[in-house]
Amino acid sequence: MTRCARRAGLFGLLVAALNCLAVPENAAAHSASDAYLTLTADRSEASSLSVIHGQWDIALRDLDFVLKLDDDGDGRLTWGEVHRHQAAIERYAYQHLALDGGPGNACSIKPRRQLIDGHADGAYAALFFDAICARATRKLTLHYTLFFAIDPSHRGILVMRNGAAASTALLSPQNAAIDLLR
Amino acid sequence: MRFMACAGMAAVGLTAHCAAAASADANLAVPATPFNAPYLPVSESDILQDVPSTADPAVLEMQRLRTAFDAAPRDLPAAEQLADVYIEYGRQVGDAHYAGYAEAVIAPWVQAAAPPAAALVTQASILQYRHQFSEARTMLKRALESDSRNAQAWLILATLDMVQGDYQAADRDCAQVANNAGVETGLACFGSLRSYTGKAHQGLALLAQADTAVRRGSAGYRAWIEGLIAESAERLGDWPAAEAHYLNALKLQPQDNFLLVAYADFLLDRGRPREVLPLLADHTQSDTAFLRLALAQSLLHSDQIQRYTWIMAARFEALRLRGSEYFGREESRFALQLQHNPQAALDMALRNWQLQRAPWDARVVLEAALAAKQPHGAAPVLEFLQKTRLEDPIIDSLARELHAQLGASVGAMQ
Repeated sequence: MTRCARRAGLFGLLVAALNCLAVPENAAAHSASDAYLTLTADRSEASSLSVIHGQWDIALRDLDFVLKLDDDGDGRLTWGEVHRHQAAIERYAYQHLALDGGPGNACSIKPRRQLIDGHADGAYAALFFDAICARATRKLTLHYTLFFAIDPSHRGILVMRNGAAASTALLSPQNAAIDLLR
Repeated sequence: MRFMACAGMAAVGLTAHCAAAASADANLAVPATPFNAPYLPVSESDILQDVPSTADPAVLEMQRLRTAFDAAPRDLPAAEQLADVYIEYGRQVGDAHYAGYAEAVIAPWVQAAAPPAAALVTQASILQYRHQFSEARTMLKRALESDSRNAQAWLILATLDMVQGDYQAADRDCAQVANNAGVETGLACFGSLRSYTGKAHQGLALLAQADTAVRRGSAGYRAWIEGLIAESAERLGDWPAAEAHYLNALKLQPQDNFLLVAYADFLLDRGRPREVLPLLADHTQSDTAFLRLALAQSLLHSDQIQRYTWIMAARFEALRLRGSEYFGREESRFALQLQHNPQAALDMALRNWQLQRAPWDARVVLEAALAAKQPHGAAPVLEFLQKTRLEDPIIDSLARELHAQLGASVGAMQ
């Protein structure tokens, strides 16, 4: 494969751009990075705690880019390789997600388990967790920063379920904090 | 932002889920059946996902440049170099992730109070790739204000004007390209432009000169010229020449998503869908390539067609969920030929026409208008074609048919 940009000097740069010229005839429609975050308010809790169950699907190819999951570098990510890196995946992911219920009502995230989920563009790690806040409040704020620092085109697609109601939102660097209303 | 209550949208994020616990074949991107629940793989050796392999020198080079950049994150040349290889690799394999990685790398310079022209041009290139044309133009305007002889900026502008059908502006841009980038690049620019304006013969002659001039150029550059020649030959209906040049280009750049998809379209048009399957078998992660595979399966009346159709639908749904709108041309073809919904195809084609006016953009409108029996719907495109005198035997015949229907309906009214 030609790496045009490696060529020195103005012409090298031009050649890189010339390859760009070839593209517009053909759409660039290929999947960018998405993650799917589904939150379900637990309405069965008898205690005063506020609990939200979460499922967070993160593309294995995205996780591989930041965490180098493909240990043998053969380009084929096996369950064994993913399995061995589950702790690192969890650590990385939960650094980029937080919930808070306002002053004095921090919420903690308790990872539950990890499975694999299939999407039309490939396999995702499915991270299940509970978010537990000290007090039930009408409003929780979700802070989401997954991958934004390395790929500002990443989007988190959020679905919040509360009983029969569901609402959706698109999480992006410009929209990284969202109020969840009960 | 606050949530809006919208119970009707329940599980919208999940509609795109369609996993495969077990694949029918070795192709990971083509799962056998829709699958709606997360699962635990059976064996440690189960392959879940293809990722870039470090056996690929291009991947190693990206990693090397990434390490260099991480060690010197304020070094603009290191950032530019890394961003360029990301963009180039993403184009090659048809994967939009890399445009995002490139954007993050140059973001500190683009967001600076007085951004360097080079960073603005790189950002424009990313935006153009995502079909955010007006944002790309804004970046280029700023770049040219500070560096009016920036050849790359003029090249991207020429591309934008061509793809959006402003051929007068593109002619002016190509002159700037010739002045600032050298004569062979100027020839390629003018040659490409002529193929849209009823002068494809002349365009081919210019491209042939550019081809001769760059015999010792990089494989990527020569493949690009070969691809342009192939397209110009298609404009003239010279199918053997078009095919020969597509094959030349692919010999130089066998993995190039753009070339593979253009050649696949050529094969589909020539009634050779069977050849599309092996051509794109390793490129199913690219949505544009996947659509051509699905179209080929459909033309072959394959029993796989339902599988390809729902995967393609799920991919479009995933794009819609993330707010992307740059796939109108592909989605219109999908609606018409795989979902058999001419009205939806026409609506999408016309919306796409507001943004893009390349020959394929015209063609999807004409095809959908005919199928939907709404010749009037194609009026803006027919007018554009008469004005620009685009040559293309397939588009010509569609346009003739529509004109005949329009004439008949006028006749009936009288």
